[in-house]
Amino acid sequence: MNAEAPIRFRLNGREVSASGDPLRRLLDVLREDFGLTGVKEGCGEGECGACAVLIDGRLVNSCLVPVGDVEGRSVLTVEGFRETDRYRAIAAAMEETGAVQCGFCTPGFVMAAEALLRKNPDPSVEEIREALSGNLCRCTGYHAIVYAVRKAAETGKDLW
Amino acid sequence: MRERTAHAPRPEPRAYQPPSLARAYQPRSLAEALRIRGREAVIPFAGGTDLMVQRRRPTGLTPRFELPALFIGGLEELRGISEGDGVLTMGACCTCSRVLEERAAPPALRRVVEEIGSPAVKNRATMGGNICNASPAGDTLPALYALESRVVLRSERGGRTLPIEEFILGPGKTALAEDELLVAVEIPTAWPGRLFYRKIGTRRANALSKLSFLGMASNRRGRLVEARMAFGAVAPTVVRSRRIESGLRDAAAAELAERTPEVLELYAALIKPIDDQRSTAHYRKEAALRLLRFFLQRLAADL
Amino acid sequence: MSQPDATAPKKPPLHRRNTPPDPQVVVDGRCPGLYILWGMGSLIRRSIPRDDARPKSGGFAEYVADLHPLGMLYARTLRSARPRARIASVRVPELPPGCFVVDRSDVPGVNRVKMLVDDQPFLAEGEVNYVGEPILLLVGPDREQLDRLLSAVVVEYEDRQPIFGVRDSLSGKKEPIYGTDNLFASYVFGASEAEMDRAFREASLVQQDEYESGYQEHIYMEPQGMVGVYEGGRVTVYGSMQCPYYVKNALVQGFGWEEGRIRVVQTTTGGAFGGKEEYPSLIAGHAAFAAVKCGRPVQLLLDRQEDIVSTTKRHPAVVRFRTALDGQARITAMQVDVTLDGGAYAGLSDVVLQRALFAATGVYRVPLARVSGRACATSSVPTGAFRGFGGPQAFFAVEMHMHHLALAVGEDPLDFKRRHAVSKGDATVTGGVYRQDVKLAEMADTLEALSGYREKKRGSAPRDEQAGDDAPLRGIGVSLFFHGAGFTGSGEKDKIKARVELLPLEEGGAEILVSNVEMGQGSQTTLRKIVAETLQVPVEAVVYRNPDTDRVPDSGPTVASRTVMIVGKLLMEAAEELRARREAGKADSSPVFKSYRQPEGVEWNQESFRGDAYQAYSWGANAVEVEVDPLTCEIRVCGIWGVYDIGRAIDERIIQGQIEGGIAQGLGYGSLEHMALRNGRIAQDSVTDYIIPTSLDVPPMEYRLVDNPYAEGPYGAKGAGELPLVGAAPALAAAVQDALGRPIRRIPVTPEDLMAEAARADNGARSAHER
Repeated sequence: MNAEAPIRFRLNGREVSASGDPLRRLLDVLREDFGLTGVKEGCGEGECGACAVLIDGRLVNSCLVPVGDVEGRSVLTVEGFRETDRYRAIAAAMEETGAVQCGFCTPGFVMAAEALLRKNPDPSVEEIREALSGNLCRCTGYHAIVYAVRKAAETGKDLW
Repeated sequence: MRERTAHAPRPEPRAYQPPSLARAYQPRSLAEALRIRGREAVIPFAGGTDLMVQRRRPTGLTPRFELPALFIGGLEELRGISEGDGVLTMGACCTCSRVLEERAAPPALRRVVEEIGSPAVKNRATMGGNICNASPAGDTLPALYALESRVVLRSERGGRTLPIEEFILGPGKTALAEDELLVAVEIPTAWPGRLFYRKIGTRRANALSKLSFLGMASNRRGRLVEARMAFGAVAPTVVRSRRIESGLRDAAAAELAERTPEVLELYAALIKPIDDQRSTAHYRKEAALRLLRFFLQRLAADL
Repeated sequence: MSQPDATAPKKPPLHRRNTPPDPQVVVDGRCPGLYILWGMGSLIRRSIPRDDARPKSGGFAEYVADLHPLGMLYARTLRSARPRARIASVRVPELPPGCFVVDRSDVPGVNRVKMLVDDQPFLAEGEVNYVGEPILLLVGPDREQLDRLLSAVVVEYEDRQPIFGVRDSLSGKKEPIYGTDNLFASYVFGASEAEMDRAFREASLVQQDEYESGYQEHIYMEPQGMVGVYEGGRVTVYGSMQCPYYVKNALVQGFGWEEGRIRVVQTTTGGAFGGKEEYPSLIAGHAAFAAVKCGRPVQLLLDRQEDIVSTTKRHPAVVRFRTALDGQARITAMQVDVTLDGGAYAGLSDVVLQRALFAATGVYRVPLARVSGRACATSSVPTGAFRGFGGPQAFFAVEMHMHHLALAVGEDPLDFKRRHAVSKGDATVTGGVYRQDVKLAEMADTLEALSGYREKKRGSAPRDEQAGDDAPLRGIGVSLFFHGAGFTGSGEKDKIKARVELLPLEEGGAEILVSNVEMGQGSQTTLRKIVAETLQVPVEAVVYRNPDTDRVPDSGPTVASRTVMIVGKLLMEAAEELRARREAGKADSSPVFKSYRQPEGVEWNQESFRGDAYQAYSWGANAVEVEVDPLTCEIRVCGIWGVYDIGRAIDERIIQGQIEGGIAQGLGYGSLEHMALRNGRIAQDSVTDYIIPTSLDVPPMEYRLVDNPYAEGPYGAKGAGELPLVGAAPALAAAVQDALGRPIRRIPVTPEDLMAEAARADNGARSAHER
């Protein structure tokens, strides 16, 4: 792939193409080329999860993925997810449990919750903690977020 | 099916090639990947979870790749898991998540993979990547050493198979030739039944290893049939000694208990950890030996 | 790492919320303006959804990194690679068109960041005093190009002898960094030396102890950043910050312009915890000078590694005690000495020191106390504000000291602490008075009942860790603590002089105009609730936007747990006036202003350090239970219990968030968050290596609030944001001591330290490596 060839992939349900260096981080392409600022850089090392997106349904840290590697794949960010009933269930639960304080980590947690509930629609609290263990939060101490995911699973019974 | 070849003749020094215009290659097959690999200097890129961190640059900037990246992570030929002839073969680009979803994965491998990174990292990090990165703290390595794994290497010249301890030469250094790719890991499907593993990380999840210890053992009629012990992150490469292990064969409980101090001393000579930003040499050594002693005590108690 | 276990018994709920609100109607006769209305209508205490939750969870909220004004340029900072050096030369490569260098010569006014003492330059002037100190900026349209140019800058340093650590700083052996003695501040107050000497002579027992605590880094999830814009002769800086007027005042001084030409706008801030109290003034200056020089908007974002290495940290501390006890095991005298590592520049160290000193004797009655301390200069990153602001350091030390005193006299630590706890009417360490009810006894009772402290504690018998068994060693520890709410000393009255504005809206609501920010802690909900409750309008009718200095008066910084108690109170008063006006039928849509008045009877003398250092105190009690792995010395926190007196909660769910988040940070401070320097540079310079808790690291948390409304606070509220962090680490350290039977004198308590001590204590031949 050279710097000219477009990289074609599905982004939030639409066919798109990115041009330029295939080694650019997917994080930067999403934020800058597509204006998807819900995807955030918290660390740039794949530790904090603020940049988490789904690629082919799997949770990944977009700061560690070169855009060239998503050729032919399907990428979902919070912007694509937030129009769904599943998102609404998660967001409502988060609002109810107090899971959102400064909000910087929140979209990453939303994506991690979706990734979990897709695979496991009725997770135990332990399983939720494990699934969220790659998302860091400095404000909440995590319990409100974990509770929110549990609540979303309960109230959103037929969604996942 | 294993391919066995004598070592192919050393490749000719590569004739000067103009720097590639490509920043990355997305080969559609292993053959194509090997062709590219054989023709020019590239950086094999599987999941990238190590490469993208090692090469990271400040916010908003593209990681530093001085050579084109060769994206092999999506090649189906490198992502399969198959079993036959007493060998489990895992494609080099099997992700950690894939390994955990695979019933046939050895418990020892499953245990070490469970404690790698986070869910998002597990979805990208690969077996092959962990091996070729050859970090002294590589999470899979103690298990792969203890399982007597072999790495399968391919190039356009042919293929060869090496025991993992001959493949990993030092921190960040492997025996991978310039034109080779690691394509699979072979694990003999017979392994001792008892498993003990402890990874001591910097915290309970998503943690780099300060040190790790993996022990496997089997016994019969009150005697130790076999014990295997491997230590991670306490030396430039995994510490495993077949010599010490074979000395324990056939031991009964009393003998094992009596010889434990001696065994500890033997391993103490091999364990050479360092101080770094995560931990201290003293801690790593003490903890490693305590875990070993505990393992041996448990073994003796089981006999 | 824990594994899901299907056969384990169902675990109790993760955390239990405090008991439901007491339905009694309470009217406090001492403060005629205070109404508390119960029943369905009242907003106070009842949790309501936060307005900012959905915009944040959906990725709609805009943080500074999301701003891209037209024509924006990027800025990168060249930072010192040396801890202490003269800059002999700086060679900047030839810059392509459109790129600029910004250095000290581009600071139009005073090249000093306005602070308590103006010793820190915006951009270095011929010398550098810490690794990470800013030297110059490169600005340009292309970040790749900028990165290449930055790498090509060559700095010639003439190294000077650096000073590392407080002992080095106080030794006097090296050329001082600051003044003649490396002291940013130093104080002594309380009893005289003669009085203390007599007390020690007459004592039945005199005990000396020393405690150390380390750095802590905020790791707000949003790294710091600013965008500077220069338009129409005015500079506007947008950014992540806690104190818009600190930034504005710093820019006014840095530019030397009249203040109408400077505007500061807070962007939605992704966490701060004190780390964005003073540092933003420095980088706001950078972005602003760059914007003026280049004539284009300039974005300056800190990379995470850069942020960890270069921005302010919690002060490492060494605290020494000498305490006298009489024949009935009562403390008769206590001498405390505090040394803080202030890093290379003065910053806020003076006030952090003061707060630490005012907490030095903890929650205890000490008939004779002599307190001294200093903040000293070292060749390392300047330390600064971090949730607790000197309190966590002091309380770790005094709580462990009390624990050790208790063991010395053979008494249970909680009993010993309770016996010495202050009550209403007792004197503070500065000769002030605890004017409100102090509910420590009741809180300790509740704590015991919740935590099962008596049944769980082990006592002081030393453990045999080498028993070969891997069964974890359990222990439980407790802490009692306070946090003085509001600015220390007479700061509210003499320095901040908060002023708020309430703008009536036609539809019947109002707009809150204050300089305090929402940084996650919920102020945009709590302050609106206070106004809405007072005006008797729905919360939706009250507007409170991110502050813009063009529109808001200076109500002071968002620090010191003052936002609800001080600013909220002023807003309540403004709302009362507005409501009265409306009820009287006046058609007056002019804004209402209120200014801070110190409560009656609260007096502070800054020269003599006598009087009421705080107008109110919030109180806490924690119990922490741990398991220590005897093989590896790893610590697992099994549970934490807390009882808190924050007056009254304006919103219970928001208070829960502060408690749970504060506890997580406090536990991290106590055990995980190890940070050390290597050659003056922070070694744990990434989120990989600087360890904060994950969802799997936090224990179950159970806590209660006590009802103790504060008459001078809005609807009884006192400061709550910092308190929950303060008690966690001391209780954790005490629990580890309980588990191991060995004294803990340092935090973070790391497995490495425990192992090293175990090896030292070990007289057997088991440590093979010693051969």
